[in-house]
Amino acid sequence: MTLRNRLFALVSAAVTVTVVLVTWTVSSSARQSFATLDAQRTASLVAQFRREFANEGEQVAARVERIAHSDEVSRVAADLGRSRDYAPYVNEAAPLAAAQGLDFLDIVAADGTIVSSAEWPARFGYKHPWAATPSRAAGTTGGFLQAVELPQEIALGLVATKTVTAGGENLYLAGGRRLDEEFLQSLVLSPGMRALLYRNLQPEVSRQQLIGNEGDVPEAAPLEPLIGRVIQSRREASETIAWPEGPETVDALPLQAPDGAVLGVLLVGNSGRELAALVERIRWTGVAFGGLGIVLGFVLSYALAARVTRPVEQLATAARAVADGDWDVHLADLRTTGEIQVLSNAFETMTRQLVDHRERLVQAERVAAWRELARRLAHELKNPLFPLRITIDNLRRARSLPAGEFDEVFDESMTTLHTGLANLNAVIGRFSDFARMPAPQFAQVSPNEIVQQSVALFQAQLTAPGHPPITVAVDLDPAIGTIRGDEEQIRRVIQNLLLNAIDAMPAGGALAITTRRSSGVVRIDVSDSGEGLGEEERRRLFTPYYTTKQHGTGLGLAIVQSVVADHAGKIWVESAPGRGATFHIELPVEGPA
Amino acid sequence: MTRIKPAFPALVSVLLIGGAVTATRPHYGGTLRIETAGTIQALELAAASAAPEDANTSRLVRPLVHETLVAVDPAGGLRPLLAISWEGDARGTRWLARLRSDVKLHDGSVLATSQVVSALRARHPEWQVTADGSDVVIEPGREEPDLPWELAEQRNAIAIRQPSGIVVGTGPFRVERIDAGGLALRAHDDYWGGRPFVDGAQIRMGRSPSDQLADLEAGRADMVSVQPADVRRLEQRQLRAAASRPLELFALVFEPHLATPANSALRRTLASAIDRAAIARVVLQGQAEPADALLPQWLSGYAPFVLARLGQPLSRSVVARLPPERRTLSLRVGASDPTAQSMAQRISVNAREAGFAITVQAPAGLGPRFDLRLVRLPVEPTTPGRAITALMTDLGPRTLLMIGRVTPPGPRSSLEEVAGVERALLERDAIVPIVHVPELYGLGRRLESWNGPPVSSSGAWSLADVWLGPDGSGTP
Repeated sequence: MTLRNRLFALVSAAVTVTVVLVTWTVSSSARQSFATLDAQRTASLVAQFRREFANEGEQVAARVERIAHSDEVSRVAADLGRSRDYAPYVNEAAPLAAAQGLDFLDIVAADGTIVSSAEWPARFGYKHPWAATPSRAAGTTGGFLQAVELPQEIALGLVATKTVTAGGENLYLAGGRRLDEEFLQSLVLSPGMRALLYRNLQPEVSRQQLIGNEGDVPEAAPLEPLIGRVIQSRREASETIAWPEGPETVDALPLQAPDGAVLGVLLVGNSGRELAALVERIRWTGVAFGGLGIVLGFVLSYALAARVTRPVEQLATAARAVADGDWDVHLADLRTTGEIQVLSNAFETMTRQLVDHRERLVQAERVAAWRELARRLAHELKNPLFPLRITIDNLRRARSLPAGEFDEVFDESMTTLHTGLANLNAVIGRFSDFARMPAPQFAQVSPNEIVQQSVALFQAQLTAPGHPPITVAVDLDPAIGTIRGDEEQIRRVIQNLLLNAIDAMPAGGALAITTRRSSGVVRIDVSDSGEGLGEEERRRLFTPYYTTKQHGTGLGLAIVQSVVADHAGKIWVESAPGRGATFHIELPVEGPA
Repeated sequence: MTRIKPAFPALVSVLLIGGAVTATRPHYGGTLRIETAGTIQALELAAASAAPEDANTSRLVRPLVHETLVAVDPAGGLRPLLAISWEGDARGTRWLARLRSDVKLHDGSVLATSQVVSALRARHPEWQVTADGSDVVIEPGREEPDLPWELAEQRNAIAIRQPSGIVVGTGPFRVERIDAGGLALRAHDDYWGGRPFVDGAQIRMGRSPSDQLADLEAGRADMVSVQPADVRRLEQRQLRAAASRPLELFALVFEPHLATPANSALRRTLASAIDRAAIARVVLQGQAEPADALLPQWLSGYAPFVLARLGQPLSRSVVARLPPERRTLSLRVGASDPTAQSMAQRISVNAREAGFAITVQAPAGLGPRFDLRLVRLPVEPTTPGRAITALMTDLGPRTLLMIGRVTPPGPRSSLEEVAGVERALLERDAIVPIVHVPELYGLGRRLESWNGPPVSSSGAWSLADVWLGPDGSGTP
């Protein structure tokens, strides 16, 4: 990964983490704030219900009180004090209840007999279940909850009682209002809130007893456990109900009769849907802005990374160029400051010094090469010249010899001179050949054929009498095909390697040649079982004029390497002292590009 | 001054006495305003399929125009009307009715014996009706000891159709106009019993009970039908009520699926649970009588001895063990009948104490099947035999079939035989009498009557003797 990418990734990650943290913090904070607000709203509604409940109870009590002081009730009480005939008053309760807006009103005689009932007129003559009991007849300052029996059902009522005394006889009034949808509708609810009333008038929790301000509650089953818990514990409870449309926090408030019995449960539902929607909106807004921030961060990060790394990249490019041998690199257009500027200047200085060192090194190498060439040339020429000088000296001394002897010496000297000059010529020829390596003439050639021809050329030498025994193993890949190369030069390479291998085994041994083709290259391996090469020998093996042979010129492997290089191939050697040596050549099938 | 002084007390006394006499003396003139729940389109006999309130309106209005030869008197006997006397042979196969002379029809002509004969022949083709001077001889072709009671029936009223097509009668009023809004009657100036005090009567029909009561209280009506529960209200408003004898029976009738012997204990338990006295005394404000039999005591005289239920009612615990469908019953009652509604609610409460759950429902379209009905049956003010026969007719063949084979009493059946028929009708408790209720009317403050109340004990309107005094409420 480049420095720019790393820097970009680092800055982007930092921006992303920062944005995500900010978004999460804002969203979480908003959620908590709204949850607190919702809890306050719920508490407010519960408090409102308590106030409404208390107010309603006081109103009911006041209305029953007004009825108790009405002329009609006074007359009924007085009449009943004189006569036990209830019949004339059987219909008294209904108009009185209607006038005071009560849903229930029972006029009950001293013995508990119902004289008149507004909610159940036909029930006259029967005992009232609770109005004449001492605890209820004593009356209360406000209303209280009571299960009120109706013809077809038992209703939950907020009732009050009042005792009227006339003629020494008591007359009880029990009136009230029904806790139903209308009562729930009187509660002021905030959006997203709802109030439900469960009437605990049956032995078991029944969803039919749960009503909302619009009547029955269609989905009541999830609320039943909460209702049951409140009824059992007689304490407030809260639970979050998971509806398909979203969560709803429901606070359940027990509604108790004076004797402590839970006759109803008020459920205040605070829908989390609005909150969830709001939080969701905040979240998505945060995500949107966060995403925008991240994208912006990426862009800025990229620009920053590019600005910071561009000089470094240019320095790296320049360094790579230097590494590739192009030392003539300048960073003149690099506009930086600070450490990068120092680095740039140091780089410039370094390249200048490298160029100077290189030029000096080239000069030195040239001198060394010339010295080596001169030494070699002197060495090579000195050997053939010595016999020539001796011969010439012999001729000078033989000038005084008789003609016959002189002639003999002369002829012998001529032969020697001739041979010496031939040797000089050969030495000069080899140097000339190395100096004048011709450019390869590429054509499709068969490496196998070249190997076979080369082996055949040396076969006679190897099998000559007195020659140390060398076994030759040739393993050619029949599918090797042809390659693009100069046949003559490749042949020279093979022959040179074969010759070296033979020379490396003066006491005989095993020679192996293999060819293989793979991945677009042809590989030729030449192995011998000779003494092998040491580390220093392997390192300098392809250096011109380096030889381990007594009469070698040190140009053979240099020429081999040159040819292989001209064919865009590779040559290397594997060897260790005492383990022979193997020369590997790889030549591309398609030749140099 | 000295001459005047001794005479002043006497003058004051004369004026006071004169004023009192003026207040009680009948006045001629004015239009009587009556309201009814039922409606009639014509004065012909109501069809058998007519609604009960329409049939009742027809029964009340028709005698004002068309009279019968005899009529039921307030004591429950017969009194002369167009016939001044009647007599029959021992077996009742030949009857002779002597017509009142100088009876004039509404067109001014004198009612001829032949017209009476023709009217009776048209009504009873099977009778042999002939004229013998001013007498009408009726030979019914079989023994008819109660023929005078038959002649008192409204269907035997004398209505004469003139060649012009107009039907006239001899009653105290003649029809001036009849339409959807009501019936306008004019006084028959030549009425044989003397011209009515009022000039006419305006009968508004199709009025609901509450509207009638409101109109009466507001002085917009002089006589309206009222419910028993309204009587106390009338009294509180210083208005009067008039009542007939109990002429209606409220009874529970079980549907056939509960009239089986297997449900006899259930029916008996339910019948025993009903507190008739409370219904009569409280729900109907003492305006009704608990019914011990189908026929009221005043008519049969044997009512307390008819009911003799066999077996004990089921205890509440036994009822509680009954299958829910057997102890949860639906009681059907007329939606527009507040009295029946109130009674049904009370019956429901009584049944609840016995362990039953009765739902009161008004018939509405294709409602659910009901288990019992609260029916309202008119009781004819006639002989017990004829009355029980009429009741059986009103109960209908379906109910009679459910009860079993019960034969109506014959013309010569004794009272014991009639009681036996009634006992047979009641012994299975498939029909449970609840109360007998009179016909009740509220009377306006200016309504006065001469020689008896405006509604006789037999339920007939005696409007010929009604006169209108000053409006006590001040309403013009």
